[in-house]
Amino acid sequence: MIAAILRAQLLSMRPGSNRGLGLGVLAAVFWYGFWLFVSLTGAFFASHATVDMLRYGFPLGLMALCIYWQAIPVLSASMGSSLDMRKLMVYPTPHEKLFLIELLLRFATGIEMQMVLAGAVIGLLRNPVSGGAAALPSLAGAALLFALFNLLLASGTRSLLERLLGRRKVREIVALLLAMTWVAPRFVMMSGVKPTWLQSAGVIMGSFGWPWSAAARAALPLGQSTGTTALCWLSLCAWVMIAGWFGRAQFERNLRYDTLAAQATPMSPVSARTSLWTERFYRVPALLWRDPLAAIVEKELRTLTRSPRFRLVFIMGFTFGLMFWLPMMLRHNRQHPGFLTHNFLVIVCIYAMTLIGQVTYWNCFGLDRSAAIFYFVAPQPISRTLLGKNIACLFFLYLEAVVLMALTLAVRVNFSLGQVVETFVVIGICATYVTALGNISSVNYPRALSPERVSQSGGGNRAQALVALFYPVVLLPVILAYVARYAFDSDVAFALVLSVAAAIAVIFYWIAMESAVKAASARRQSILEELSRGDGPVGS
Amino acid sequence: MPEEGAAPAILVRGLRKYYGTKPAVDGVDLEVPRGSFFGFLGPNGAGKSTTIRILTGLIPYDSGSVELLGYRLPEQDLEIKRRIGLVPDESLLFDRLTGVEFLEFVGRMYGLARPVAIERAHGLMDLFQLLADRKMIAEYSKGMRKRVAMAASLIHHPELFLMDEPFEGVDAVGARLMKDILMDQVRRGATIFLTSHVLEVVERLCDRVAIINDGKIAVCRSMAELREAGESLEDAFVRIVGAEHQMERLDWL
Repeated sequence: MIAAILRAQLLSMRPGSNRGLGLGVLAAVFWYGFWLFVSLTGAFFASHATVDMLRYGFPLGLMALCIYWQAIPVLSASMGSSLDMRKLMVYPTPHEKLFLIELLLRFATGIEMQMVLAGAVIGLLRNPVSGGAAALPSLAGAALLFALFNLLLASGTRSLLERLLGRRKVREIVALLLAMTWVAPRFVMMSGVKPTWLQSAGVIMGSFGWPWSAAARAALPLGQSTGTTALCWLSLCAWVMIAGWFGRAQFERNLRYDTLAAQATPMSPVSARTSLWTERFYRVPALLWRDPLAAIVEKELRTLTRSPRFRLVFIMGFTFGLMFWLPMMLRHNRQHPGFLTHNFLVIVCIYAMTLIGQVTYWNCFGLDRSAAIFYFVAPQPISRTLLGKNIACLFFLYLEAVVLMALTLAVRVNFSLGQVVETFVVIGICATYVTALGNISSVNYPRALSPERVSQSGGGNRAQALVALFYPVVLLPVILAYVARYAFDSDVAFALVLSVAAAIAVIFYWIAMESAVKAASARRQSILEELSRGDGPVGS
Repeated sequence: MPEEGAAPAILVRGLRKYYGTKPAVDGVDLEVPRGSFFGFLGPNGAGKSTTIRILTGLIPYDSGSVELLGYRLPEQDLEIKRRIGLVPDESLLFDRLTGVEFLEFVGRMYGLARPVAIERAHGLMDLFQLLADRKMIAEYSKGMRKRVAMAASLIHHPELFLMDEPFEGVDAVGARLMKDILMDQVRRGATIFLTSHVLEVVERLCDRVAIINDGKIAVCRSMAELREAGESLEDAFVRIVGAEHQMERLDWL
């Protein structure tokens, strides 16, 4: 049964052609190459560490690994593949088998962490202080249990989030709470405030009561008594069982969850006042442009604001972004005001731009899915559609910047009018570059996206490869403007290079648009096929 | 610019479309007079949808010529698109818009002024018995989606309708409503080109039919000619597509 599901998924993933296969392979080599490097570095340090370093460093390393494993899929708003229950629930498949596949999917999502864990284990085996090859059973056993704990926890967390983020009204609050949960400790640490309880918290976190320290101390006794080691094993096993119960219970609740009911429009009438304001917001494009461009931008504003997938990344843009960068900026501001202080707004806006890219410019037609056929049958050139979508994206980027500025002012971090203008100009230029590249990616590597599935990754592997490879490259002219400012210590140099970057952006956008229109015309059939294509039993 | 009313609604000559080496449409000749209700029939995989997709400009063809309302495809595709209404087999509805919002959007995309588009959108919602509430299209049933799709195809008052299985998934009341509206459009001079697997519907609505089989037009005649031959449409269809073989039985079934 499991084999049948996996085979159906593999067959569903068959590429229509070999287009972009090389890009996908290149991106995979780049990504896993990086983690192989991290793994080897970990192995090197583990093989040369002293007893004291291992005693304090190993649990902390495992804690970092656990946090990355659980948090990064949430932070990147891409929680990996999951079983499509609507397609599988009609078959008499035992739930435990489905859960096993779910765990395999979590295994695939966290493969880089397993590489790091394996590197650490190999390094420790080469370290004489850890007992060498004789330590293999305890090291391998603890590492396996720790990996299992993380898999089960990740599965439960994902199921829980999937449900919470699928509920109307609740998902935005959950996103905010998540932002607070993940970033609050960092905020406290980076802001320089040292609460007295922090030291004792550190001691508590290092005790065998926690899964990472239990795993570290079970793997490497390092002079502790046999009784303590046994307690560590017990603690680790208990954590695995708790994570197993949590993972399975959440998975079962997901099986019974009615997504459609949770997302249905409530019957209660919206107040006339609210309706008037939202309508005014949607009608803004009609004040600035003529139809059909205004109609396209308006349609994008309506559909994107109603898409849970978009709303989540939009909210993450100014919450995660702010909470991630603000502590760092505050610390720099106190010590030596510099690049981060001056360019805080731009940096957070670029982060927001990166996040919303996966549901907007990288895959313009993704949320429209098969309805994108309309753009090809409507009596408008496809370039107008792309332009309308790009304008809507810029609109949201500027909205994101305005919200960020308001929040930044609310936490009493002041900035000058010049910084505000600079942020808007830089964002405009960066957006021109990325939307230009996004138009090419949208017509060459389209992929249907579910507006409801907040955990779905944005583009296909090929589109993501394109992003990873070219994103830094296209922003290079803007980066050079900042280099010029700091090299020559001159705002004039910055403005000059930025002007050149803007001019290049316009030319690049124009050329990219021509290329995208040609590709859309030549590939319209395959674009529509890709956008109408359903996933296999596993949705990615 | 073609002379108004001079050219047939659809004129296809020697149309060929290959997928790899397999012809999906193999030398199709078709002439659909203006003001006719034309049924385009064929078994699954015969080339119906491919032909419609070619006529809408969604896919290019390999050889032959296609003219719609006197305009050549693909050279004058924008002129054609302005004048046709399309109800494809796939959904072209934007899920996160309400019915009214979608209709207004379509109207504006076809060049209607916003107030006109809004007015027509509300009128069409009433006509198709759809509630103009806050419910998004994503929450519509299949039949409601078909009604909205057909309403959208009407908003710019097209001269030619291309419809791929327009009654699929629609209940009897909805189908009756849609048929009445289509008949009314034909009376007003519009041309309707539709595909359907429900032969009774085609027999009752259409004045001309063509049957495509293996990418070739097997027959193209008026319903009156078919009736004169003393055959029902179903009998003619089954005879032409050669489906009169004995059903094989599986031992285990």
